[in-house]
Amino acid sequence: MANWSDIALATIPAAPLAAAIWCGTVAQVVRRTTAHRPVVLALALSLVAAAYVLFVVVPGSVVDSPAAHSQITPIESSGESLVKPISLIASETPASATGEHHGPAHKAYIFEVYRWMSVGGLTVDIVLRADAMTALMLVMVNFVSLLVAIFASSYMHGDKGYPRFFGAMALFVFSMNMLVLAGNFIEVFIFWEAVGLCSYLLIGHWYHKPSAAAAARKAFVVNRIGDFGLMTAIFLIYRTFGSVDFETVLDPARLAELAAAQPGLITTIALLLLLGAIGKSAQFPLHVWLPDAMEGPTPVSALIHAATMVTAGVYLIARTTPIFVHSPTAQLVVAGVGATTALVAAVTALCQYDLKRVLAYSTVSQLGYMFMALGAAAASPALAAHAETFAMFHLLTHAFFKAVLFLAAGSVMHAMGDVIDMRRFSGLKKALPITHITFLCGALALAGFPLLSGFWSKDEILAVVWEATQTGDYKTYFYLILGVGLLTSLLTAFYTFRAYYLTFHGPERFPEEAGHHPHDASPAMAIPLYILAALAVVAGLILGPTHIYAHYIEMTPNFPTAAPAGMNVGMMILSTVLALGGIGLAYSIYGKATRPEYSDARPLSLWENVSLNGLYLDQLYGALIARPMATLSAVCEFVDRMILDKIVDAVGLIPIIAGGMIRPLQNGLVSSYAAVMLLGVIVALASVLRAIASVT
Amino acid sequence: MNWVSENIALIGTLVLLGANILLLFPSTGRKSGIPGFLLLPVTVAGLGWVFLQPTGDLVRDLLFYMASGTAVLGGLLMTTQRNPVYAALWFAVATLGVCGLFVINSAPFLAAVTIIVYAGAIVVTFVFVIMLAQQEQGSGYDRIPQQPFLATVLGCLLVGTMLLGIEKTFGPDSSRLSVDRTALHVSSLPVENDLGSPGGVGRSLFTDYLFAVELAGTVLLVATIGAIAIAPRRPQGSL
Amino acid sequence: MSPDPSHYLVVGALLFGLGAIGFLTRRNLILMMLSSELMLHGVSVNLTAFSQYHGQHDGQVLTIFVLTIAACEAGLSLAIILALYQRTRSLDIRLWTTLGEEELMPPMADSASREIEPPAQPLPKLVPAGRRPVIGADGHVVTPVLSNSQASGKGAKA
Repeated sequence: MANWSDIALATIPAAPLAAAIWCGTVAQVVRRTTAHRPVVLALALSLVAAAYVLFVVVPGSVVDSPAAHSQITPIESSGESLVKPISLIASETPASATGEHHGPAHKAYIFEVYRWMSVGGLTVDIVLRADAMTALMLVMVNFVSLLVAIFASSYMHGDKGYPRFFGAMALFVFSMNMLVLAGNFIEVFIFWEAVGLCSYLLIGHWYHKPSAAAAARKAFVVNRIGDFGLMTAIFLIYRTFGSVDFETVLDPARLAELAAAQPGLITTIALLLLLGAIGKSAQFPLHVWLPDAMEGPTPVSALIHAATMVTAGVYLIARTTPIFVHSPTAQLVVAGVGATTALVAAVTALCQYDLKRVLAYSTVSQLGYMFMALGAAAASPALAAHAETFAMFHLLTHAFFKAVLFLAAGSVMHAMGDVIDMRRFSGLKKALPITHITFLCGALALAGFPLLSGFWSKDEILAVVWEATQTGDYKTYFYLILGVGLLTSLLTAFYTFRAYYLTFHGPERFPEEAGHHPHDASPAMAIPLYILAALAVVAGLILGPTHIYAHYIEMTPNFPTAAPAGMNVGMMILSTVLALGGIGLAYSIYGKATRPEYSDARPLSLWENVSLNGLYLDQLYGALIARPMATLSAVCEFVDRMILDKIVDAVGLIPIIAGGMIRPLQNGLVSSYAAVMLLGVIVALASVLRAIASVT
Repeated sequence: MNWVSENIALIGTLVLLGANILLLFPSTGRKSGIPGFLLLPVTVAGLGWVFLQPTGDLVRDLLFYMASGTAVLGGLLMTTQRNPVYAALWFAVATLGVCGLFVINSAPFLAAVTIIVYAGAIVVTFVFVIMLAQQEQGSGYDRIPQQPFLATVLGCLLVGTMLLGIEKTFGPDSSRLSVDRTALHVSSLPVENDLGSPGGVGRSLFTDYLFAVELAGTVLLVATIGAIAIAPRRPQGSL
Repeated sequence: MSPDPSHYLVVGALLFGLGAIGFLTRRNLILMMLSSELMLHGVSVNLTAFSQYHGQHDGQVLTIFVLTIAACEAGLSLAIILALYQRTRSLDIRLWTTLGEEELMPPMADSASREIEPPAQPLPKLVPAGRRPVIGADGHVVTPVLSNSQASGKGAKA
């Protein structure tokens, strides 16, 4: 009987994996229409296990020091006494340095599943590693996944690839759980790729649509650039540290030594990790894949491209904060990338007509916020804790309100007969009351309406950036970042409510695809919407000002320590004003009866065009990268076909010609074979005679 | 060139032989085979004069020349005859000559068996089959030899090589060879007094070669069964 | 004890060479077999000559085995030749070149192989007496189609 912690840890990835296998094999043949049941069940199991990890395993894993001896839980002691492969690796937080540490030092709970390989100096174990950050991510991932799966069971009803969809989704949750639970960089990389693969599969779920297939390919190819960075970073990490285990690599004392000796190396590793994160989290130069990824089914957009997978980059940087702490340069780059992304995506979102694209750019923009927060630690190491805490906090709240927004958008799409262009429908408030109210909750949260979750987390991020402007050497830089953050905050409120007003207010219009009477969300769709909306409203209030979240995440080993953040009242007021200003601006333009009606006839202004086309980045990439590559490949093809192939053909001609010269011998006539044989006998005889004669 | 002049007799004889064979071959352009037939005695005489000098024992020489002449003539004509039935008969003549040589070599039993088996069984069967299979007299494929020049050259080369070897081994200047002639001659076994008699051959067959005899018997059996199995089924009365 | 076996060896070599030439030039399957028998004769002469030279029976015994094998060979080859003959109605070795490269057919085409034409037009078959056979354009006898009434009527006229 293994102990409960191991079982919980193993259940988290194992249950979705089993569901994925079921959907991939059995459900393809029988029980196609109920393929969602095992997935929902598995996700519920995982959620329970994740909650167990959150509430029991992580708080229970404390460093076994005399001071904290009394706090050892029975679970841990039983684990040590009964199960061998469990190792609780202590990584002491430098409590003595700060002296402000409360409670016992925590460590990661590690369940070694098996040793995967041991090659030369490289040893890779498949381990499940749980600490506070992991636990929070796990609960968030499994919770949102569960709700999205329930939503999708109704949304995808009647789809031809129903079991395939749920299989890929379960596989995704498995991969994401493993990515979060990873105990070394190799595991991170494997499941980093696995979530990318699932994303590809799900974006291309309707692979018969050329745009979906192209979007899937684009997502995969763009992600590859980031994966290259991550891979190189892992190579460098192995070369530098001789290990890929988190416990070894992220040891603060060792990192400090190394950073003193080789600051350039640490910066390089950090920047390469950042490249990986940029690809996965759709940050500025590589963000172009995410809006296209909206070609996938909406539940997928909600789950993967808003709540979970795209936050993997943020998670990776947060996880490797001990490395980033030693490289202010890298952190400045992180902040710069985040700010640029936030602003670019927000500007792009302003004029989009596609509801899901608005939300996609909004996702990109919010991820930029998280990066901004993570980068703010460059100002002083003391800020690192706040930066990490609030980036992760924003990640959590964002997952809730973005999921609800996407699911509501999916509900709109469902009712409108798969039309998502906001120019073709309006005034859905009456027709879709459930969708309307939940979307409003999400939009308010996203806009940063006071006391809702987005308000708390975004406000904290701005507060961290504000603190960064007060200390350290990069004040001007962070003033700029802060300005961008505030501007983006205004823009976010504006475009969110522009979408809201365009969709739900104004004269009631339905596209013809919707049929006679659009129907609102079915119960299976409504319940997740309500739950997520409720969380979007209250999660920030419960977890933010009370510091529950901040205290919990401090239990992460190697977490930079700092004093608890106080309220930044000035920043709160400022961001409230901006949010309300954005909402008011949107209302003044789109909320009234005299709002501008979009039609294809009206010419768009220059700014609208720029915004609509996403600053023409796709076209820029096409001209700068894709077209030269196409030209190069055409040249290569010509060389290959006209020169190399001809050479190969010419070489191939030699045996044909040589064979043609000898072929007449093989004419099938017995007599000619006999003649050749006779010739052979003569030659043999003659040579024997010569040999005899030469002996004498 | 030195080598050619040394062996001028050998080469000349072989060229003569080859020319004769070529002349004897039937061909479409040349209706008459007279020159070939005229040349035949010359060739045989030349072969005998160059390679088969008399040993001195008159009776023996006479018998030998008769037998070998018959054999070689039969072989030559068999090779070149255009009519397959005649060729088979010339083969029987050659077999008779060979049997004469057997008799001279004190193998009378063997000679008798050979005549019975070859002339009596094999040739008759062959002729029988030829007669059955022959549609009309002189099929196209019997009238024209294939690759006659190449075959003649190769055959003469083969004969030349063998003759050269024989001359080097047993010829007058064979002492130049490193081959020990006494080793060739001497047998460790005692000379058998009843050489060639049925009794002697039978004793040797059923003592030293018993296993081989059994094997040969098996081969005969297998060949019989095989021939029956291979022989085409046909409606009665037709071939 | 005889003096020198070289005379017999010469005769054996000549027979062997003649047999080889015959095997190469003949196109008749049966005569090719006969040529190989001639080669066997050459070998047999050698064997008996050495038997005499050494005063041992071994050579003669070997000749008997050669005889045996020759008999087997003759029987089998005749069976095979007959089987082949059934297929092609000809004893020409050139019709059996299926082991060769297909594109090279016909092999070494010379004047002789062109002589082999398809069987000449079949002989007219005899029809029952009483009527002059009608030979059609293809050389075959045209069998007249007789209805009962016509047959009886024409028969009456004749």
